[in-house]
Order: sequence, then C-alpha cells, then structure tokens
Amino acid sequence: MTKHILKIRVVLMLMIAGMLTSCGDDFLNPKPTTALEDEDVFTSLTNAKAAMVGAYDQLSSYYFDGLYLPIMSDLTGEDVMLNSTNNYNWFVAVYQLNVLPNYQYASNPWSLGYKIIYDANKIIEGAPKLPDATDEEINQLVAEAKVMRAYVMLKMVEVFAPAYAEDPEAPGILLVTSPMEYGAPDVGRTPVKDIYVQIVSDLLYAEDVLGTDNEPGFFGKRAAQALLARAYLDMQDWENARDKAKLAYEGMELMSVNDMLGGFYRSNSETIFSLAYTPEDNNIYLSIPSFYWPVNGYSSIRANDKFVELYADNDFRSYLFTKVPSIDPDNYLILKFQHNQSVGNAERISIRASEMYLIEAECEAELGNDKNAQDALFAIQKRSIPGVGRPTETGEELINKILLERRKELFGEGFRWNDIKRRNLPLVREGDHWVKLDIQPGSDDYYRLTFPIPQRELDANKALTESDQNKGY
Amino acid sequence: MKKIFKAILLAFAMVMPAMGQTLQVSGVVTESKTKETLPGVNVFVEGTTAGTITDINGKYSISVSDENAVLVFSFVGMETVKEKINGRTVINVEMSPTTESLKEVMVVAYGVATKEAYTGAADVVNKEVIEDRPVTSFQKALQGTTTGLQVTTSSGQPGAGSTVRIRGIGSLSASSAPLYVLDGVPMSGSLSDLNPNDIESITVLKDAAAASLYGSRAANGVIIVTTKQGKKGTTQISFSAQTGLSSLVSKGYRLMNSTEIYEHSWQGLYNSALLDGYTIDEATQYAHDNVKDVVGFNPFEIDDPLDDTGTVKPGTKVKTNTDWRDEVYHRGLVQDYNLGVSGGSESTKVYFSLAYFDDSGTTLGSNFTRYSGKLNVSHKVNSFLTAGMNNQFSYSITNAPPGGSGFANPVRSAEVINAATPVYNGDGTYNWENTAVFDFNPVGLAEMDIYRYKTAWGLINPWLEIKILKDLSFKTNAAFDYSNTDNLNYYNPEHGNGAGVNGRSTMSRSINMSWNVSNLFFYKKQFGVSNVDVIIGQESHGEQYSPLTAGVTDFSIPGQPDLIWGAQPQAPSSSTSEWNMISYLGQAKYSYEGRYYASASIRADGSSRFGANNKYGVFYSVGASWVMTKESWLSDINWLNNLKLRASYGTSGNNNIGNYASLGLYAGGANYGGYPGITPVQLPYPDLSWEKITSLNVGVEFNIFKRLSGDAEYYNRKSDALLFSQLLSAGKGFGSIMTNLGAMVNSGFEGSLNYDAVKTKDWDYSLGFNISLNRNEILDLNTDEIRSGTKLLEPGGDVYQFYLREWAGVNPENGKPMWFTNSQSDDDENNEEPDSAYDDPLGSGRLVTSEYADAERVRLGSALPKFFGGFNNFLSYKNFDLSFYFYFSVGGKVYNYDYATNMHDGTNPGYNLAADALRAWTPNNKYTDVPQYVANNQNYSNQLSSRFLEDASYLRLKNISLSYNLPASLINRVKMKALKVYVSAENIWTVTGYHGFDPEVAISGTTHNSIPGVKVVSFGIKVDL
Repeated sequence: MTKHILKIRVVLMLMIAGMLTSCGDDFLNPKPTTALEDEDVFTSLTNAKAAMVGAYDQLSSYYFDGLYLPIMSDLTGEDVMLNSTNNYNWFVAVYQLNVLPNYQYASNPWSLGYKIIYDANKIIEGAPKLPDATDEEINQLVAEAKVMRAYVMLKMVEVFAPAYAEDPEAPGILLVTSPMEYGAPDVGRTPVKDIYVQIVSDLLYAEDVLGTDNEPGFFGKRAAQALLARAYLDMQDWENARDKAKLAYEGMELMSVNDMLGGFYRSNSETIFSLAYTPEDNNIYLSIPSFYWPVNGYSSIRANDKFVELYADNDFRSYLFTKVPSIDPDNYLILKFQHNQSVGNAERISIRASEMYLIEAECEAELGNDKNAQDALFAIQKRSIPGVGRPTETGEELINKILLERRKELFGEGFRWNDIKRRNLPLVREGDHWVKLDIQPGSDDYYRLTFPIPQRELDANKALTESDQNKGY
Repeated sequence: MKKIFKAILLAFAMVMPAMGQTLQVSGVVTESKTKETLPGVNVFVEGTTAGTITDINGKYSISVSDENAVLVFSFVGMETVKEKINGRTVINVEMSPTTESLKEVMVVAYGVATKEAYTGAADVVNKEVIEDRPVTSFQKALQGTTTGLQVTTSSGQPGAGSTVRIRGIGSLSASSAPLYVLDGVPMSGSLSDLNPNDIESITVLKDAAAASLYGSRAANGVIIVTTKQGKKGTTQISFSAQTGLSSLVSKGYRLMNSTEIYEHSWQGLYNSALLDGYTIDEATQYAHDNVKDVVGFNPFEIDDPLDDTGTVKPGTKVKTNTDWRDEVYHRGLVQDYNLGVSGGSESTKVYFSLAYFDDSGTTLGSNFTRYSGKLNVSHKVNSFLTAGMNNQFSYSITNAPPGGSGFANPVRSAEVINAATPVYNGDGTYNWENTAVFDFNPVGLAEMDIYRYKTAWGLINPWLEIKILKDLSFKTNAAFDYSNTDNLNYYNPEHGNGAGVNGRSTMSRSINMSWNVSNLFFYKKQFGVSNVDVIIGQESHGEQYSPLTAGVTDFSIPGQPDLIWGAQPQAPSSSTSEWNMISYLGQAKYSYEGRYYASASIRADGSSRFGANNKYGVFYSVGASWVMTKESWLSDINWLNNLKLRASYGTSGNNNIGNYASLGLYAGGANYGGYPGITPVQLPYPDLSWEKITSLNVGVEFNIFKRLSGDAEYYNRKSDALLFSQLLSAGKGFGSIMTNLGAMVNSGFEGSLNYDAVKTKDWDYSLGFNISLNRNEILDLNTDEIRSGTKLLEPGGDVYQFYLREWAGVNPENGKPMWFTNSQSDDDENNEEPDSAYDDPLGSGRLVTSEYADAERVRLGSALPKFFGGFNNFLSYKNFDLSFYFYFSVGGKVYNYDYATNMHDGTNPGYNLAADALRAWTPNNKYTDVPQYVANNQNYSNQLSSRFLEDASYLRLKNISLSYNLPASLINRVKMKALKVYVSAENIWTVTGYHGFDPEVAISGTTHNSIPGVKVVSFGIKVDL
C-alpha cells in the first residue's frame, strides 16, 4: 500500500515538474498585431516600400505640406488675405505676422517636419539591410527618402531660420541625418549653410539614382533637380540653379490655360511633384481648396485688391478672381483651387515646370543673360496673356518683372514668403488688407518674417537654451 | 420539495457509506454564557456524513455506529466543539461564541494566516457586510468598512464600477487600482459580473508584508475575494429574495420653472440692450421682441405674457412647465434573487448558487440585469490527494446612455433644456426643438437609440492538492477566465447623433481571455516552541484582449439596428493585445513561543510589458511582530488582553504600463496616393520598467477588558519610476516618450476601534469606528509643473491640486464679476498689478479685477479628502437585529462643472438656470453673489474659478438594516431551519453643504453630468431549508 502511494506521488510530482519548465522566449515577447516592431520593417522590400508610402503620407499631413506650409507661405505676404470672421480663427496670427514660440503654427510644422525626417532616416538606414532587394531597388528607396528629407529640410530652414542670402552662418535648424535613440544627446542648431550642404548632397545623390518614370505623386529625378534649383536659388548660386531648373523641365510641356483655370486639382503635363490625395484619403476641411475655394469649406482666403489690379485686363489669370456679393460683398474671391467632386479631394501641385522657367529667368537675369531670361519669362507670359509681346526689360527692371510674374503665376502655391525673404524685399500691405504692414528690410520688425523656434523644443532640447531663439522673439 | 432537493444533492455528492445502527446519542446544546438553548446547531459524526441539527429546544438525537466516534457540533459564530462519545448516550454541550478574533483565520496572499501570527497590515470584511445589499458589485459595499480603503462611485448607472484606492494614489499616468484576486486567481474581468452574495470574505492587503508576494502587481494593494465553499454536514439550502426601490440620492439644487426662465431671459435681453446703449423704451421693446426666440417657446397661453417690467401679467395661465428631471429620472426597481446550496461529506463538499439581479435604474435608458451561477466542488480523493474546482458564470446586460458633455447624455439634457420647452408637440409626437440640445429630446432618444452592452463571463478554476509528507504539501491552481462582450451603439436615422448620416449602428465584440497557473509547495513544521511556515513556487499568467468592430450608416428604415440594414459600411477594425508574465516566489514565516513573529518574502516577475533591458523585476518584503501580552512581565495585567506591535518594509511594482509600451512600432493606415503605407508611431524604450513602490508600515493592535479592541497604523509608501511622459526634442522624431521618471509619496495614519458595549442574554450591542488620513505629495515630475484645466501638478503638491482664479464676488456697483488679482501668484512671472485692478468694494482689503484674463490662478486645495472613515453599529435584541453604519469624507474639494453650467449668467441664453440664479444682481439687489444676468454675457463670470469650487465633505448613513429572525418554534413547523425578514436602506441620509445631487463625485474632483448616486430602500426575505 505505502509503495503504491509513493509511486503515485512520484508520478504526480513528475507531472507537476513538467508544468514548471520555463516558457520560451516568445512568451515574454509577444508581438503586437496592430503594429510592426521596428526590427520587422526592414526585413522585406514590400515592408520597406510601405514605410516609404507612409513617409509620403506624413508629408501630405495638413500640419506640413498639405495645408500649413503652403497656406502660411502666402499669408505671410501681400497678395492674399484672410477673413477676420467666420474662419474659426484659423491662421489669424500668421496673417498678422504675430506667431509666438508657443503657437501651434510654429510647433506643429516643426514637430511634423522632424517626424517626416525620422521616417526618411529610418528608410535611409534600413533599406541597405533589406535581404530580398536588389542594389537598384535599395538605391531607389534611399534616393527617394533623401529627396523627402531634403524637401522637408529646405522648407524648414526657409521658415525657421534667416535667409541664406542674408547670413549663411546664422543658426539654422537641427541637422538630423540618422534616426536618434530617445537617450542620444540632443543636437543644437546647425548653421544655415551646412543645412544647405546636406540638402544639396542628398539631392545630388538622388538626381543620380532616380529616373523620370515616376508617378507625379512620388519623387523622381525631376523633383530632385527642381529642389536643387530651389536650394541653389536660395543660395544665389545662379548658374547651378539655372542648370538644374532647365534639367527639371526639359522635355515637359507646359500646362494649358484650360488646366490653369480648370481648378488646379490634378496633375498635368507640367507637374513635377504633387501630393496625391484620393477621394478616400485627403484632409477634407483642412485642405487648400477648403480655405481657397469660395464655397464648401472654410472658404476664408481672399485676394488683395491691389494684387488683382496687377494683372493685365487680357490676362487669363485674372479670371481666377471674382466678386460674388452674396458670398462676400467686399473682397475678391479666388477661383484657383477647386475641390474635385468632394470636399478636400484635390491633388496639391507642389512642383511644376512653370516655376522652373521662372527660376531660369531669374538666374539668367542675375547672370546678365537678359535674352535668355526674357525667353524664359516669355514662355510663361505668352500662355496666359494673348498677344503679349516678348519682354524687353533688362537688368534690375527685368528681375523685378520676373519676380512680379512669380507672384502672378504662383500665388497660392506657397512661394511668396520665401521670395520676400531670400531677396530681402520689403513686405508692404496696402489696399483692402485688414492688417496693413510696411516692413522694410533691416527694420526692427523684419524678424517677423522668420518663425520662432517652438518653445517646446527649447524646453525639451538639452542642446538649446533660450538664447538659441531666433532674433526678436 | 425539500426531500427531492436533498435526494438530488446527495446523489450529486457521490459517496454515501452505509452504516449500521448501534448507538443512540442525545443531548441538549446551550450557549455557554447565557445558558440558552441553541437550535439549528449542526451535529455530525466526524469522518462521516451522518448528521442532524438541534431542534427548537436545542435538543438532538443521533444514531452512531461506533461508540468511540467523535461528535462534532458546529454553529455559525460559535467555536466548534468535538466530543468523543466513549459509550455515552447523553452528551450535553455548551458552545461559546468565537469572540477571540485573534484566532480567526484569514485568507492572505497564497494561503491563510491567523490574525495573531500575521506580520502585515490586512483587514478582513466578512460576508455579513456584503450580503443582502442592493448593489451590483461588492466594492460599493466596502466603503467605510475598513481603513485605508477609499471607494468612490461617481455614477448612479447600474452596474458601473467604482474607483478603489488603497492608501492613496500611487501613480501619475498608470492605473492606481488595486489587484483583485478571486480564490487565488488574479482577476481580469469586470467586478460587476461577480455576484456579491457568493462572497465568503474579502481581505484587503495594505502593506508590503501583506501584498509584496504579488510582486509587480501589488503596488496599489491587493483585494482578495474568497467565495463560499460547501461545508460538511447537513445540506443547507437557502433562498433569498430582495426587492428595493431606488431613487436619486437627493433632489439637487432647484432649477427654474418656465415662468422664471422666461422672466429671467427677458431681463437678460433688457440688460444687454441697456449695456449696448439703448434707451429704456428701446431695451424693453428689444426684450419683448426677442424673449421668445431666446427661450425657444412661449410657455404661456397668451402671446404677450410679459409686462414692461418683464413680469408675467397677472392672471396669465401657464401652458408649459416641464420638469425635465421628472422626465429623465424615475423610481427604479432593484430585484435580487439568490438560491444557494451548500453541503457535503467528509470527503466531498459542494457549494452551488444561482442568482438573478436586476436594477431598472433611475435614469432613462439605463439599467442592468445579471444572471449568475456558481459551483465550487472539492473532493478528497484519498489520504493525500484533494482536488477541486471553482466555477463561475455570469451573463449581464447593461443599458447605459452616454455621459459627459455630449448632447445625447440625458442627464445633461435634464439640466440644460429649459422648462418652457415641451416634451411633446400638441399632436403627441416628440418635440425635438429646444435651445440647448437641438434635436436631442432625451425622452424621444431613449426610445429610439440603443446603447447596450452584454457580457458573458466564465471562470474555470481547477486545483489539486497533494500531501507529499506530513509537513510538506503541494498545490497547483489553474484558471481559465473568458469573457465576451457584445456592444451595440445605435443612433436612429431621424434625430440626434444619427440624423446627419441617416442612422448609424456600431457593433463590437471583444474577447477578453486570461489564464493563470500557480504551483506551490507548502512546508509547515513545529520545532518545540518554534513554528516554521514556508511557501515556494512558481506562477505564470497571460491575458489577451481581442476586439472586433464594424459599423454602418444610412439606414433604409428606422428601428432596426442590425448592420444588414445600413447602406454605407464604415471601416471595420480588429486587433489583439496580449501580455504574459512568469514569476517565481517564496515566503518564510517564523514564530517563537507565539510571542515573536518574523516573515520574509521574495518574488521575481518577468513580464512582456517590461522593456528588453528590464525583463525581470525582483520584489521583497520583511515583517516582524511582537505580541507583548505574551511576555511574562505583562501577562499579569488582567485588563490588557492583547498588545501587539508590528512593522514591515518592502517593495512592490505596478505593471499597468501598457502592453507594448517599450517597443519601437510602425502602424498601418498611413496610406497615400491609393497605396497602403506604414509609419513609425512609437519610439523604442528598452529601459521601460514597472513602477516601483517602497513601503514602510508600523502598527499596533490591542484589546482591553476583552471589550475594546483596536489598531493604529502609520505608513509611508514611496512611488518611484512612475510612468510619465518626457518631452523630447523634435529631432528624435516624436515629441514625447513614456519613461519612468515621476516620484510620489503617500503617507498616513489609520486607526480603528471596536467596542462590545452590551452582551447579555437578550441584548447585544457593538460599535466600531475607523478613520484614515492620507497625504499625497508629488516628489518629482521631470518638469517644473504641468497645468491642466482645473489642476496644477508640481513637486510638493498632490495629484489632484486645484489651481484656479479666485472668485471675489460681485461688484455691488455694477453687478460685474470680480476675481482677486493675486498678482503675486506664480501663474504669471510678472508681479505687477494689472491696469484693471481696483480695491475690493466688499472690503477684503485686497485688489480685485473684473477682467477674467487679468486675474492669476492660485492653489486652492485638493480633491482628495483630508480624512475619511466609517462608524458602524450593531444592535440585537432577541430575534431582532439592527445594524447601521455611516461613512464620512472630510476636506475634499469638487469643481462643480454641472452647477457652473446652470449658473451661466447669460453666456448660454436659453439654457436652463438653477433657481439660485434668481439672486442675480440688479440695481435693487446689490449685495449678492450672482452677477447681473446679461444675454450673451461675455464677462467670463461662469468660467473656471473658485466660484464653483465646493467643499464636498459629507456624512452619509450608508446602510441601515433591520431584520427579524422568526422563532424556530414557528418555522420548524413548516420544515424550515431559519426564516429572516428584513428591511434595508442604502445611502438614505446625507449631510453635506455641497450643491448638487451627490457630493460623492469622481475621485479627481470634477463633475461631468454623471447619473446621480441613488438611494435604495429594500425589503427582503431569506429562508434556510
């Protein structure tokens, strides 16, 4: 009997000992089902490509290139105005040139900009390790991510730092070229010129690798060249800017006047890069057409009367302005950016050949090649102004004419703010603006053309102190 | 009927050994002190199922097959008596009450302990407190019963949970809720699924020595719930039925009636016109022209009911005067039926119960129904093997309308829709027009919208115990816990939330699954005067939560919530979230001569929630106690019956830090250009750890004159490595990361006293008092301060510190609001007085301003009470029992958003007003605390300030219950063992200075239009067969 019981006890003990054996490594490391761990992303080309798509999605967010940057770039100028009422206070501080360090108009683009750079850096770091991709596929991913990084850095250095032309040694933005761990030492502000060195180097790499067979919603060779042209233009490296601008549009046909007046909501023959929103996937009310188109949205952007008067009577582009008393009895409505069937569904054309022609014209004029400059300017003017004569101006007069053409051609597309800054122009608002300004270069108020570094960054970044804030704030 | 029942149960109980009848033993059982006979005492032969109970006169007679057998006498509340027969035929027995609570066995972490030998701080709440209360979950019954335990119920929604905190708030971002352990198994489901009547006892583990054995889950204390088990002896069948009427705990502040709101609105328009520079005539005309639009309806039978002073013309008849509270609230009916069967033999014991609970709620569209069943079985297989299983099942259906500031919240609608608004149109259809929540008539919506939540919960808990050697045993305890919720939110296509999309229906099903296995060795041995007690073992645990959600809009017909009826599908979603833990634990206890006790415990937890660099956490505790009365130099003090000192120190953790918080993650949904994409959503943080708590406890327990007993404790709980969001430079890709940075301390005193005042043959009266004081202080935040809404978090302050502008009253000259400027406050670094500052006309001697923005915020106390506790009384006379207990909470503050909404001073013209607003400033009523009423007021008078910060101290008669046990002589005739009838009242009486329905609001001290607390008066009957 005792023996029997002992036997049973031994068997039971063994059973239980079996239960005690420790569990596998997976037990303490279960994988989430609704997210991928970092280490599982750059394990296949498919995943890495999805991460690239994700980076474009971040870029198209309304906090960055989808709305904030383009709309703020025109509101910090003379040509468009913001309704003071029925606008839920959107962008009022921007229009007043009164953005303070704790305002979301500075902090959101700043945070999101670096989030996109983080996304791009993860791809630049991760793609070369892909086990199932060819060198060509890897290079393509890295090059696209580098264009992404350069695109974002160029926008941010234009917004958050003084113009390169004014002071290339001035503190620029944070230079982050690889994903940082949470505990890594913070980085401070890098001089403006070094930011441009990085931008140019990224873009030159990409220009070499990328082809021209991309969809307009994604970066290709032309986008890299166009961004190089923009960067060189900021740096007043007129020859390189001209060369890259010409390469960027080479072989493209300019869009027709019909396309220009047809609502600007989908890419066309001259589109180099556009944010490819779809009916299912767009920012709806926080979109350019929602603010610009006179109905179906916030509809709170108006054109300044003095700006509208600058157009010749026979300029087709003057049809982009209208007055409809039932909507707004006082101000010009803008018909440039239309919704495509549903609110917010419109591609946002971000880079197009016409801008490249105007860069070419400006550079040639600066270089003293007035004839080439006149040719490039004429290419743009003749499309919109029937019977217009070839420009005959030269020198400073020609440059001013080209800059004016940039306003007429590109208004609403997010250029004016930087054009004022990079050329050190005055910002003078007259006519029916409700916030009138006269900010002359060199004046005490000129600092307002550069956004403050967000307070949150100064608080969180151990490499920065209050003294690293931009002048004036 | 009774016989059939018995037969079934006996068959169920398996073995019935046959017996020969050789000896008839009889006798009388009496109470030792009163010498009164005791009916209903269980008498059985040890080791068999043969038994009987004493009759009305305390007499029994039993057949015994072995003259050397032992008779066992047991009775609730009495010490069990064993008598060896030794051939006697008459055995009279005296039983004495189990007064010496020190010997009481209590369920503690991974085992049991006597109170005397325990080195930790723990309190037991017995079933008597929890049973027969008209509450959905047991925590509500715990309020005020034991020290250190704060229970806050902020909603009167039937089935809604309570916030339970043991010894203060332990965390900043993570949950501060205690761990619940049900029969040795950590619970993961909802506590309202557990039938309180199945509970035998609850142990609240408070300090390190008591709780540390639960390691990374013990930081905020542990509540151990033990369910009823079968008892050997005669099968006991009990049935109880209870019906109660529930209603709002108080009437709240009065709201304006339709005449008042109409006149007041007129006055507001008139005042606003005057302030805009109109003449008196123009202003009068303006008010006449607009008053109906502002109120929404003319509640009178004539078109121009007001005269030129804005007063209703004499003789005007009122057509509409809706009391929206009457429409939204109603009397609720609570029903609770329980059937319990308990019994067993020496080898097999069974407890089985079935229950039905229904609370029809006090608010439109809110109710709760629960069906539950339980079966606990244990069987002694042979001399060394015992096996058992605890099973639990419940199914509950909750209807709960949305809360908060949404328009669909009926509670808010009742407060903001004015009384001039009719519920129905003239033709009997619902009136959807009103000036506060347009298209959200709460009465109509309650009929048309559905907010329904169903939960099915099952818990299977098999266990096996092996006696390996005389002193060594082993127990394995496994549990599988599965709950399935089925939620439906349906917005009808015509009105309210669904009107914009022609109806919306969202259904979600989620599975919450957890399992737990523990394998423990127990070693217990006595060496002379020393006792050693060791536990060593291993435990593993896993939980998985998988929701699945789908929805549609655009319904072809109303009233059909199934998804098939909607034309537009919404994006469905599903996910699974999981965490696992593996633990090793050990505990040793040593005692010497019953005088000195020492204990030590250690536990290592490896958790999937912890970061890669911190996978295992180790937690320990040490404790000691000294029973001084056992020392010879104290033993001759007759009146001092017990004096015990104890102290403990140890560590524990809080693992409520999220399941994947340490991982770097990419999430889907970052689609672009028609392509699906992924994007980083979280930075990796491999150092992520549990929150660390170190706690010290010293306590003293005493008993004098065998009547007065009590204890007092001091504790200090320091929380470190608290989960908190750290700001990051944007260059790192994310603005913040959750790290272990915060630190906080809770320290306090607790004390309780129990006094057996009277104990005679007929009378018994005892009373108890307990009080808890806790101070919470933030030590470190990794940032100077965090301001949010009404609060300020800063080192040195507590977690719920109010930070508001300070209300200075109303300027008697112009009726404008005033706030103290408090320019010296650190709200703004500038200490200069604003231009708008002026001397307080009310004579405080301080500077005030009528510009809201110019006043600075100051620290104004905390939402946490300074102290709280309970006072209980138990009185019994013959067959009558009367018990009642009070709960008090003193010093906590509440920011009353709800009252602020009803005192809007014209900010929301057309919204209903509290009747207090009738005190508004007028040139004839200059000294008042309510500013001038001005339509479309923009002076911020009802914005956040101390104007609506109230002291929420209160004293509440939590429960009073009177019961009568029918005399056994009467009920034995109808073959019953016991019959009790009782009336009981819950929350029946409250003393408070608080405005509003109920001073018991969310623990953070703000009101959110929650369903007010309820009081319940119930009647019950309980039968033992």
